[in-house]
Amino acid sequence: MPDIEPFSPRGMFHEGWTAKVNDYAIACGWALKGKQFIVGDVAGGLFAFEGDTGKIIWKKENTHSGGLLAMAIHPEGEIFATSGQDGNVQIFNCDEGKVIKTLDLGKGWVEHLKWSNDGLFLAIASSKKVYVFNEVGEEKWISEDHPSTVSAITWSNKNELATACYGRVTFFDIVNNKTNQKLEWQGSLVSMELSPDGDIVACGSQDNSVHFWRRSTGMDAEMTGYPGKPSHLSFDDSGKLLATSGSERITVWSFIGNGPEGTMPGELCHHTEPISSLAFSNKGMLVASGSRDGSVVASFLKKDGNGDPVGAAFAGDLVGAISWRPDDCALAAVNAKGVVNVWKFKVRTNLFSKGFK
Amino acid sequence: MSIKEKVPVTILTGFLGSGKTTLLNRILSEEHGKRIAVIENEYGEVGIDQGLVINADEEVFEMSNGCICCTVRGDLIRVLGNLMKRRDKFDYVLVETTGLADPGPVAQTFFMDEEISSEFTLDGIVTLVDAAHIDQQLGRSDESSEQVAFADVLVLNKTDLVSDDALDTLESRLRDMNRMTRIIRAENAKVPIETVLNLSAFDLDQILKRRPTFLEPEYPFEWTGVYDLDAGKYELMLEEGPDPEMSLVALANQGESEEELKDGAESSVRLYAEKANSLDPGNTIPYGEHINLKLEDKGNKSFILNIEKPTKIGLFTQHTAEEFNMKVIKSYENKEIPFNTERFWQAEHEHDDEVSSIAIERFGDVDPEKLNTWMGRLLSEKGVDIFRTKGFISYSGNPRRIVFQGVHMLFTAQPDKEWGNEPRRNQLVFIGRNLNEKEMQEGFDKCLI
Repeated sequence: MPDIEPFSPRGMFHEGWTAKVNDYAIACGWALKGKQFIVGDVAGGLFAFEGDTGKIIWKKENTHSGGLLAMAIHPEGEIFATSGQDGNVQIFNCDEGKVIKTLDLGKGWVEHLKWSNDGLFLAIASSKKVYVFNEVGEEKWISEDHPSTVSAITWSNKNELATACYGRVTFFDIVNNKTNQKLEWQGSLVSMELSPDGDIVACGSQDNSVHFWRRSTGMDAEMTGYPGKPSHLSFDDSGKLLATSGSERITVWSFIGNGPEGTMPGELCHHTEPISSLAFSNKGMLVASGSRDGSVVASFLKKDGNGDPVGAAFAGDLVGAISWRPDDCALAAVNAKGVVNVWKFKVRTNLFSKGFK
Repeated sequence: MSIKEKVPVTILTGFLGSGKTTLLNRILSEEHGKRIAVIENEYGEVGIDQGLVINADEEVFEMSNGCICCTVRGDLIRVLGNLMKRRDKFDYVLVETTGLADPGPVAQTFFMDEEISSEFTLDGIVTLVDAAHIDQQLGRSDESSEQVAFADVLVLNKTDLVSDDALDTLESRLRDMNRMTRIIRAENAKVPIETVLNLSAFDLDQILKRRPTFLEPEYPFEWTGVYDLDAGKYELMLEEGPDPEMSLVALANQGESEEELKDGAESSVRLYAEKANSLDPGNTIPYGEHINLKLEDKGNKSFILNIEKPTKIGLFTQHTAEEFNMKVIKSYENKEIPFNTERFWQAEHEHDDEVSSIAIERFGDVDPEKLNTWMGRLLSEKGVDIFRTKGFISYSGNPRRIVFQGVHMLFTAQPDKEWGNEPRRNQLVFIGRNLNEKEMQEGFDKCLI
């Protein structure tokens, strides 16, 4: 029997802790290297819990009048930023939840926040403009008006920021204030993810397709046939797999070999209602998905993008956000009722898998 | 997850100066127990005094396929997408568009975007019209005629600045463009709140309840009387009336049920299309022919009706009987025979505007597959010009009636209440630009079983 396959990995969600915040939870993340878990609710409530026990450390209410729209934890995990309908961005320290800096960007909603990988810059999108501030809240760069409201931002390298809006993705060198590249395509881009090396740009579009560009070759491709708009995209840490979803199904494109053009994507059908959050583990080929039906599933993927579920749990209501702990040994989900669930996560394989311990 | 009611959304359109902000403030200040979130595209000089007002610039997003029917409003998707997380804060949404907004993409957003359509339902489109200026605006811009075409409710505002006669003319012009709409006259945007909120305007039942004849096609005759006559000689007596002549078709064996009357009307329409033979008083009226009664003479005029054996005679007349005090008299006995049944029809008249409504009403069942193919082709060829579609369909073999509604190319069909004892029939209305009524009716007829 030469072709015995190693048995599939088995894993599960083990009991962790639960807690509750005041309103619909829309953002969450791990701080202080996994020692702290921060949740933001739609009304502007912020809550910090002990990562292991769920004990509340501090909370803040009404941080943004009109409501919270985005939250981003600094890669070092010592500070985090929030933004809201009030046109403000606030930078807090994680320890005590004290405001370090408030940035007033005017009247528009501030919908997107992204720290650069080295944590030196914070990119902020508000209406048609994008701003870059440094860690201490000094303004470093402002874009011109985009043709429409900016729908996504992400860093392609330490000085280069990508923005998506109706009809185009633009790469800005924010240190030298110049436009490096414009990728144009007539469509309303609703989401954007870059591969970790910054070469592949993937955007979900309102017309139920995913559009790819490879910056190095200039090639682009359109993947059509989604039942809904692909609002959720996630690359694995190697940049080989891209999980996408615009419905209850997750479609996984593999960039191995000549793919994904002309290949069949992997499909994960574990949920009964559309996906509301999607995230690869920090390392390895595990993807976690949360759905409007309240289910949370972790799937272990193969190179072709297909895979099996290795753990599932019920979060109680629409999953507003999910987040892997930095060591991937715990998964958190927050829901529309303000319930926080943290599960310990373990995977056993017959081989010692790279990526998780 | 709990099953939630969808949040109703009312769209408020109308040219700048038509009174949208005044109406909006009126709605918000009135005691109606609703918590209304307002999305405002047009920031007028008059502020809105309310908590949940969100300003958003209009962003019209066309798709790469170039299809205008897939065009959506990015700003609404963004703002509503956020609002749906705050369901406990409001129970109604009002969108105030700019004066130049095309209502198509606004309405399409509620069909095209799954996330939005799963949480919100388009309750109705309310268009404000400045009675003093709309006549010029309609001539000058496509937007204003589209806003009229899309409207579930037209508020004819500033009526104090226009004469009653001019208002009547204007109302009939607007009615020609959009037969589904409800027209409300107002001064200073003063309208009862229930006429603009919670309309369920996409519900055709509501419209039929208000105006039962709105689905009717137009006929070249205004009136039908059915007379139950024994064998013998009769006279049709007419006094002086508004016209020196009148067209008429007399049909033998005319039934009295609604269905039979409509069949008779259809036959008469065909006969009316033929050239009329003039008939002077004193002559006999032939059956199944288009004739033109000569009525120039003063005083009473009479024409002869000969009945060989007892039958019901249907008279389809260009004008109503009342206008000429028309009577059927049994000769020799001098006894008036009253009609058993009368029926009024929507009279035909000229249409000046490109935008108009077409109604199709047919008894019987349709073949779902044929209908789908026909609708699919119609909407893909004419979707750009068809603004709104509403209707009921009777699918063969389905105990429920199918309700459907559409915006441009998009349409949804859903099973509704059971037919029960009601006669099964199909009622469809299209509002659009340069529509070919005959072609569409023929196309639909081919779907009938």
